Amino acid sequence: MKVPLSWLREYVDVDLEPEALAARLTLLGMEVQGIERRGSEWRDVVVGELLTVEKHPRADRLSLTTVRTGDGPALEIVCGATNIAPGQRVPVALPGAVLPGDRRIERTEKMGVVSNGMLCSGDELGLTGDADGILILSPTTPVGVSLADLYGDVVLDVDVKPNRGDALSIIGIAREVSAVTGAPVRWPATDVEEGGGAVADHLAVDVADTRLCPRFVGRWASGVTIRPSPDWVQMRLLAAGMRPVSNVVDASNYVMLELGKPIHTFDAAAVSGGRIVVRPARAGERLETLDHVVRELDPSTLVIADPSGPIGIAGVMGGAGSEIGETSRNVVIESAIFDPVSIRRTAFRYALRSEASLRFEKGQELRLARIGADRTARLVHEWAGGEVARGRVDTNPMEPEERTVAFRPGRVDRLLGTSLGPGEQHALLARVGITTAAPGGPVTVPVAGGAAPTTVTAPASEALVATIPTWRRDLEIEADIAEEVARVRGYELTAPTLPATVPPGWQPSPLGLRDRLRGTLVGAGLTEAVTYALVSRRDLEAFGWTVADRPAAGEAARRGAPIGVMNPLSLDHAVLRQSLVGSLTGVVSTNTRRGNADVAVFEIGKGYGRLDDGGTEWWRLGIALTGELEPASWNRAGRAVDVDDAKGLVELLASELGAGPATYEPLRDEPILHPGRSATVLATFADGSAAVTGVVGELHPRLLAALDLRFERLVVAELSIAGLGGGSPRVPRVEAPPRFPAVERDLAAVVPDAVAAGAVEAVIREAGGALLTDARLFDVYRGKSLDADARSLAYRLRFGASDRTLTEPEVDAAVAAIVVALGDRLGARIRG
Amino acid sequence: MDLAQIQHDLDALGAETRAAVDTATDVAALDALELDVLGKKGRLTAILRGIGALPVEDRPKVGAIANEVRRSIEGSIADRRAELSDRELDARLAAERVDVTTPGRSIRRGALHPIPETINAIAEVFGRFGFVVVESPEVEDDVRNFQMLNIPPDHPARDLWDTLYVDIPGGLLRTHTSPGQVRVMTTQAPPIRVLSPGRCYRYENVAADRNFEFFQVEGLMVDEGTTLADLRGLLDEFAHAMFGAGKKTRFRPGYYPFTEPSVAFDVECLVCGGVGCPACKRTGWMTILGAGMVHPAVLRNSGIDPERYQGFAFGMGVERIANLRHGVPDLRLYLEDDLRFLEQFR
Repeated sequence: MKVPLSWLREYVDVDLEPEALAARLTLLGMEVQGIERRGSEWRDVVVGELLTVEKHPRADRLSLTTVRTGDGPALEIVCGATNIAPGQRVPVALPGAVLPGDRRIERTEKMGVVSNGMLCSGDELGLTGDADGILILSPTTPVGVSLADLYGDVVLDVDVKPNRGDALSIIGIAREVSAVTGAPVRWPATDVEEGGGAVADHLAVDVADTRLCPRFVGRWASGVTIRPSPDWVQMRLLAAGMRPVSNVVDASNYVMLELGKPIHTFDAAAVSGGRIVVRPARAGERLETLDHVVRELDPSTLVIADPSGPIGIAGVMGGAGSEIGETSRNVVIESAIFDPVSIRRTAFRYALRSEASLRFEKGQELRLARIGADRTARLVHEWAGGEVARGRVDTNPMEPEERTVAFRPGRVDRLLGTSLGPGEQHALLARVGITTAAPGGPVTVPVAGGAAPTTVTAPASEALVATIPTWRRDLEIEADIAEEVARVRGYELTAPTLPATVPPGWQPSPLGLRDRLRGTLVGAGLTEAVTYALVSRRDLEAFGWTVADRPAAGEAARRGAPIGVMNPLSLDHAVLRQSLVGSLTGVVSTNTRRGNADVAVFEIGKGYGRLDDGGTEWWRLGIALTGELEPASWNRAGRAVDVDDAKGLVELLASELGAGPATYEPLRDEPILHPGRSATVLATFADGSAAVTGVVGELHPRLLAALDLRFERLVVAELSIAGLGGGSPRVPRVEAPPRFPAVERDLAAVVPDAVAAGAVEAVIREAGGALLTDARLFDVYRGKSLDADARSLAYRLRFGASDRTLTEPEVDAAVAAIVVALGDRLGARIRG
Repeated sequence: MDLAQIQHDLDALGAETRAAVDTATDVAALDALELDVLGKKGRLTAILRGIGALPVEDRPKVGAIANEVRRSIEGSIADRRAELSDRELDARLAAERVDVTTPGRSIRRGALHPIPETINAIAEVFGRFGFVVVESPEVEDDVRNFQMLNIPPDHPARDLWDTLYVDIPGGLLRTHTSPGQVRVMTTQAPPIRVLSPGRCYRYENVAADRNFEFFQVEGLMVDEGTTLADLRGLLDEFAHAMFGAGKKTRFRPGYYPFTEPSVAFDVECLVCGGVGCPACKRTGWMTILGAGMVHPAVLRNSGIDPERYQGFAFGMGVERIANLRHGVPDLRLYLEDDLRFLEQFR
């Protein structure tokens, strides 16, 4: 809401500087978001008096004027406007002046005559809407004075909250100023000079649905002359952010800004028979609205109609056919109240949210229909002449009494943490026009509203009854009164205290395990990413996993159809992702395109889908690596990342969780991944439950090509981890280190390529029994001494027991068992 | 062989050996010399073998002389050995010299993302006052995101939250973390002190100060005597912890349908210190969060007796807090994940 201070001062005295006023209003809850100084953009624009106006010697359409702007010599100025005459006072932009839009005025030659500046139109100054003629100032305007001193204004931009529709008006802001300063509010004149017959002779209004239109007040003005509004009106409307149109239309807009009451004016010639019906639109009806769009109306739209059809969409926008134009002679003034929800829905349906609909949808007091009609009629009469017919058409002249809200001052104090008591609360509320009185007996205190309101009965001794001004539709319950007390008193006076009550019991943080893993991965050289959850359908499909998901213990599975956005902002963000790898591939792409070839990132985030149990989200940890994890340096050769790096990270995470060793199964048929360099992962806890599951591998080269990604290889992992959705870090259980030395043996098994190392290790661990405490692959060998399709896998085996030193025969027996098992089950030959 | 001859031989061996010690160039030569002269089969022993030919009374004299010679040789060898080994060590150290001014073998270290880190920083402050973290889903429904928060359908306040709707009946992407309040209050009995962080969504075009995906932290405290004054005290503590102990704060009316009274909470401008600058739109203040006393209808809708219990809620934009703490100029940077940005948060 833009509030020109010159306009505001009409209704309330303001002694404060603009900044101080802005600060006070902000502290009252009317946040001033900006202070605009109109006129500050005019430099070197002064009032001049036209001494002579003659034809330009060489151009028919230009005038040559002399202008007095002070005591110095008169200036010769060339002007193209036709509305000027000697003796008029006009705005003169002197050479060097700057006008709105950073337009600079210089001494120029125009058709052989030097022009020493420019005479300004109201439009050029941003003061009025008139671009054709020079702005003619009052004959008493002092010559030579800076225009900024005369017409400069300060405009406050007030952020009026949705519950305070009453303050979407200059008078509403004046009431708030009054609450701050105590200065009284001056109500604008609404008495109308009437003549020319009764309104009923011209106008009849029939409301078909009084719920959607509780009140319609109509007035009639005959014989008006449509022309521009007085300059001061245009200046006010422009300062408040509204374009001037014509005197009658401006009168309705002026009243909307002044009182917050949207008014519509119709050309009576287009209101057939002077009969107005307020009714739902009929199927198939159409209306060309003021913006010259022909709209199909549907039956949930409330329209203003005459017997021949709709002439306006109620509360939202008028029809083009009944628009006030230059030839309009008679005017119908509509000042109605509409159902807020209906207006809001209609405005959304037609994407027509106007200043009027914004005010209607916040709700309007019934009283305003009458006041707005009278005020508009008065201004139309003042600005457009003619006669205002006697009386009003009023479909519901009943104006309700002021509402009351009972409250308990003690409860207000308890909420605010204050001890104001009834006396002080009474005085504070009086500043916003709320009177309070002690009730005669027990009263019902509204605690919470809604379909089934919550109330309590309070004894008379504990309660006050507040009488609420009609415009304050937002004050309904006791807590509303508490806010009003706090706000008028000043929130700043709330003395800070700390809660003195006992806190609830301890609960572990769901962020605990995630934080631990984040720290681990950052220590391992990866940087954490946080990416958009909304992705394109293309990315969703490109990165749609086909491998069956096995979630870690206690974690949600990746499952269900994707969840799309019905009203996406763009196709790039239209559906919730189901894979972190897709998002991280985007991060790698962004960074490689920006010249960073070595990228190692991870994200702990969610995937989304329609889960079987009604859930929608699952947590995953994604990893993406490209380039060199250890970049080359003068003291180290660089090394490109490969799948083993990702596996190493998986194993690191598994050990962080206290899980057993990670095992891998080849994954050959996942379209996202390289068929020869990908695996599913499983690491389990001692009880056999899954600690880490998921996939690790290289992105399929075909996918890299399809997405036009500029890196050769991308190693990725997407993991489900027990506790990622809200678990705590592990507290390790430990034992003393073994007192008896371990025995190490090396064993090289030659197996065909088709036998996976994972299978070899599994057989070793199983056959090694309890004495085998560790088996670590330390060498893989292919060579001439082996068959072409065979390789030798060398393991360092570690044996030990907690209660004794193992004897050689014991170890030999264990190794022999392993050798036998490898030979029997995998056809392995022991080398060397 | 007589005493004089042996004495002479011993003296000669001593002199010869000391001369050889002086000319030995390394410890190995010295070791060889020592073995040759003093070893079991060495020259000193060989000379002393002649002692048996001497009269008994001369033998102790020879012994004393021999010991004297031995000590003398041993002493000179030890001195020379120390000297030579020092010299050898010096030579080795000289040979092993490296240019220590070269950079070390770098250890790659990643960086934690500022969004979760800021959430953690916020949680740490409120954790000291007994607030525990509780998370809630991002795919929500209209009932929890709006209706139970006292925002009925078609309420004008819905303009405050432009909403992304999903293709699940009644479903939407939560526009704020406030539905977490409802989820907590419908499942827990007071006293309640929770902090609910997470991702939120709005139908909002991307700009330097807004994004359609963003993060919030919601706080909720419900108890029998929790007051607006308590809210202010706690928020003051928070502002001081996050932005500096001396920072001034401002408590002013705000508007949310789910709080009454509602609060906007400002901290003095961190750029200009409250004097007024473009960063604070010349007001000297920066708004860091919205808050208020939980609306009695919200308490009731969640099954909590609004007559017995009261409390406050607050919500803040994580990016906003992170911007202020780290001087980030553009909120889009957070989800862009340019490593040149992220690695500064080490």
